[in-house]
Amino acid sequence: MIDAMDKAAGLSPDDALFKARRFRPEFVNGAEECRLSVLRPANDQGLSADLRLALAYRMAVLNADVALTEEYGSQLARLGPTGQLSALAQGKTDLDEPLATIARHVDLITLTPDKAEARHIALLAEAGLNNPRIVALSELIAFVNFQTRIATGLRLLRSA
Amino acid sequence: MPSVRLKPLNWHPYIAPVELSEATPEQLDAMKVTPSAKKVSDYVRTLAHDPESYLARTILFNAIMYVEDGLARPDRELGALGASMVNGCKFCAVVHARRHAELTKNNDVVTALYLDRPETLGPRDAAIHSFARRLSVTPSEATADDIAALRSVGMNDIEIIDLIHAISIFGWANRLMHVLGHAEPGK
Repeated sequence: MIDAMDKAAGLSPDDALFKARRFRPEFVNGAEECRLSVLRPANDQGLSADLRLALAYRMAVLNADVALTEEYGSQLARLGPTGQLSALAQGKTDLDEPLATIARHVDLITLTPDKAEARHIALLAEAGLNNPRIVALSELIAFVNFQTRIATGLRLLRSA
Repeated sequence: MPSVRLKPLNWHPYIAPVELSEATPEQLDAMKVTPSAKKVSDYVRTLAHDPESYLARTILFNAIMYVEDGLARPDRELGALGASMVNGCKFCAVVHARRHAELTKNNDVVTALYLDRPETLGPRDAAIHSFARRLSVTPSEATADDIAALRSVGMNDIEIIDLIHAISIFGWANRLMHVLGHAEPGK
């Protein structure tokens, strides 16, 4: 069965790389469990599914990942996002709070994680995010940046 | 070159970690501790604020770094180190630099990277390090040439898949450790 990572990497069951990936069932199952834990958690910690998808879309664009941008775009469209969330997904910065602060943070940590400082977490707290929400947001950011790299690596390996 | 020997760093969170006395059963289960346990790291207790993602990522992380066969352990550590340097996570970089030196019983690779002299690396380490750096920037700068370089030093697809995972999981871990806290020299 094709999973989200195969889809992102453009792998089909006929590909040698699809089978090579299954040499590590721990990685295949683990990545899928992780995806569910940040995009469809049982407890969303106050970060709704449509907000999470809008952020995932925004980060896929920052990573120049066409396949994941399309995937997150279609998932988000199915939820009928508000104008604010659509703007957030599209990379806008003139948003209502706390979305504006969240968007700035997501961009910073996706593009230049080395620039992260204590004050960036303080800004999230000032925008009203409690600790569980700050951690859940951090995990979502980190996951999408993991996912885009796996997908990129697999695509390169498939075509090389 | 003088040899670089790194001392471990201590990590301090920017937010208050979960107190064990106040943890929910789900958080305790994710941390794999009982309420009477005294020593759970600040890092684990910080991430336990969101137990679902903590548990899922920990299982995946351990598989990627420690699973048997495939890519040699030091090569996974080098991938982790290259990613951590690009992502600016000093804590992770020191942990995995030290682990690389321990596993190989040699400080040369760590010395080359900390003195910013990657041109002194051997061909295999150079290919792994270069790929780790190029895959870690946003957006990725890795190309088919990187894959060709890995194959030219004898790596097969299984090993390259392992390496992609070792680098990418630090695209994740670095964005937790370096974002949610900071590292200071230990005692």
